[in-house]
Amino acid sequence: MSMGAVSDPIEAGLSRGWRVMGGAHGSTPGELVCDVAIVGTGAGGGITAELLTAAGLSVVMVEEGPLKSSRDFRQLESEAYPSLYQESASRQTADKAITILQGRCVGGSTTVNWTSSFRTPSTTLAHWQAHYGLSEFTDEALSPWFAAAERRLNIGPWLAPPNENNDLLRRGALKLGISSAAILRNVKGCWNLGSCGLGCPTNAKQSMLVTTLPTALDRGATLLVETRVERLVLEHGRIGSLRCVPVNPDGSVASGAPISIVAGHVVVAGGAINSAALLLRSQTPDPNGILGRRTFLHPVLISAARFDHAVEGWAGAPQTIYSDHFLDAAPVDGPMGYKLEAPPLYPLIFASTLPGFGREQAEALRDFSRTHALLALLRDGFHEESPGGHVKLRGDGSPELHYALTPFVMEGARRALLSMAELQFAAGATSVVPVHELAQAYGSWKEAREAIARLPMRPLATRVVSAHVMGGCPMAGDERRGVVRPDGVHWQVPNLSLHDGSIFPTSIGANPQLSIYGIVNRLATGLAKRLSGRDVRLG
Amino acid sequence: MQRRTLLRLGLGGAALLTLAGGGLALLRPGVRDGRLTASGRAVFAAVARAVLDGALPAAPPDAHASALEAHLQRLDGTLGGLAPHARSEVSQLVALLSAAPGRMALCGLDDDWAVADVSAVQAALQAMRTSSLDLRQQAYHALRDLTNAAYFADPQTWPLLGYPGQRPLS
Repeated sequence: MSMGAVSDPIEAGLSRGWRVMGGAHGSTPGELVCDVAIVGTGAGGGITAELLTAAGLSVVMVEEGPLKSSRDFRQLESEAYPSLYQESASRQTADKAITILQGRCVGGSTTVNWTSSFRTPSTTLAHWQAHYGLSEFTDEALSPWFAAAERRLNIGPWLAPPNENNDLLRRGALKLGISSAAILRNVKGCWNLGSCGLGCPTNAKQSMLVTTLPTALDRGATLLVETRVERLVLEHGRIGSLRCVPVNPDGSVASGAPISIVAGHVVVAGGAINSAALLLRSQTPDPNGILGRRTFLHPVLISAARFDHAVEGWAGAPQTIYSDHFLDAAPVDGPMGYKLEAPPLYPLIFASTLPGFGREQAEALRDFSRTHALLALLRDGFHEESPGGHVKLRGDGSPELHYALTPFVMEGARRALLSMAELQFAAGATSVVPVHELAQAYGSWKEAREAIARLPMRPLATRVVSAHVMGGCPMAGDERRGVVRPDGVHWQVPNLSLHDGSIFPTSIGANPQLSIYGIVNRLATGLAKRLSGRDVRLG
Repeated sequence: MQRRTLLRLGLGGAALLTLAGGGLALLRPGVRDGRLTASGRAVFAAVARAVLDGALPAAPPDAHASALEAHLQRLDGTLGGLAPHARSEVSQLVALLSAAPGRMALCGLDDDWAVADVSAVQAALQAMRTSSLDLRQQAYHALRDLTNAAYFADPQTWPLLGYPGQRPLS
């Protein structure tokens, strides 16, 4: 089968007459009028667009990134990072201690994520009920909303064997007697290539790009791409219009006239960090000073191990096994817990994330095909010493996240490096390198344990990354604790809703895509009913 | 404008500049119109020889020179893709490093980038990497990460890693 055999649903839709404007798709009129404007086309924006158009509402979607599709997805990091990721996959916290991977393209992070699908853990929901007045957010109440999203996006068990990178996690956990399990994936007819993070070249991944967004566009929605909403214009306490500008691939403002969108209701779904920044730029009311605060990252630690046989971490479905042993080992609001997963390995990101340089680095890179990597994502936001980060605006209006890696967080980081090294040796590693500037390759668990115990766990020396951005515009049962109400509507601005990961009052404690799909499914179904009087459901 | 951006690099920035006695007005940007300036190229060429020691082809001299030149061109592309604020910070950093007082204060490197030998640049990078000053560590990460990202983007470098390239769609 050749590349030509993969049909391209975006190309087909455009030739059917989808209304797409901006960037290569032609200039936009100076003013657009619609029932609902949706800012962002990721997990939250996509689900919302399908449901609102099902209700017969006229919808305009605005996306900062470009419209790319399977024919563009050539499995090349050098093309994927600048075109599909925020800030060319180089977004960082203000102190440069955490690099953040976040999507910026039509489909948002769902276009480039690794397909890991988890419902919001019960412990997380119970914490929200107890601390944020979200009494309706129970497993029972949310279950049908998750189930509908799972059906819509073909989320289910992955039946092929895990690749070696993931199977080493399974075998190491088994050896240590700790739990591991299989990860559900949102794929249909997956080719098991392993290039999900660079855009799915076969359209098997059921991202927003190939599911909800084509449905909304077929129903007549308008999509503006390479266009940023600069601000929501408040008039008498409501959003009157959205002021938008065309943007260049590097995110700078492009030449071309600004666009004004007049909408009856506005759904902001730009992803955490960006959604908070838009509200900050728009100076929406924030009487309790909480907007942009409590932004969470699931700070990620990495451990690389060398094996005596091929691992080929780039090949095959990227994340298929996980362990929650270290999340379940202590209460959710106790010492920081972490989830273990095995990330895919590609040359550019591997070489720039692993510590070291020169001949030592060249030697390590020669072992790339025999290298196994584990990551530990820390469950932030459940303890008073894990308050998350604070989104502020730079002079040019772009967002900057200030996130303090507190001693409490870094204590969890040290335990995470220890757990990963122990598991990798149990799986048969010949050496383990904790990804830390002052660490080395250790040849035994005893040596690694003693060295990691002594590592100075300070930011910058400890490599920390993130692929999950949450919070900043939290949902809560009262306006003292929340930016939005439990139905997603802004506490002070009645025609403004937030439908993305920014509304989570803590981190999720699992890869967040299904949490966004399921919870936004509920919020958007309710919004559709209020605006149109119609009952709708995902297709 | 320059001053504000520099200060954002870290609290140590202003102190180091004072220490270095560098007049801000004398600094030349390291990146202009999205591409490295001549002084920026000198810094990143020296960094590449140090960071990619063992990865860059060592011989013949022609192969080394052309691999380095291709790398610097890819680096222009990498810089061009960065967000404007990040590109501006890299430009300021390189400006600081291009001037002798900044180079000595931040890297502890005595010789100019164009003539410093690989081991001296490696010693400077290692000192920055293990420094307790945020600014020096941030500078190390920026130089080293940008270098690796640009270099290993090229399929010609993948045989070193044993990476076969894109998975075949067949």
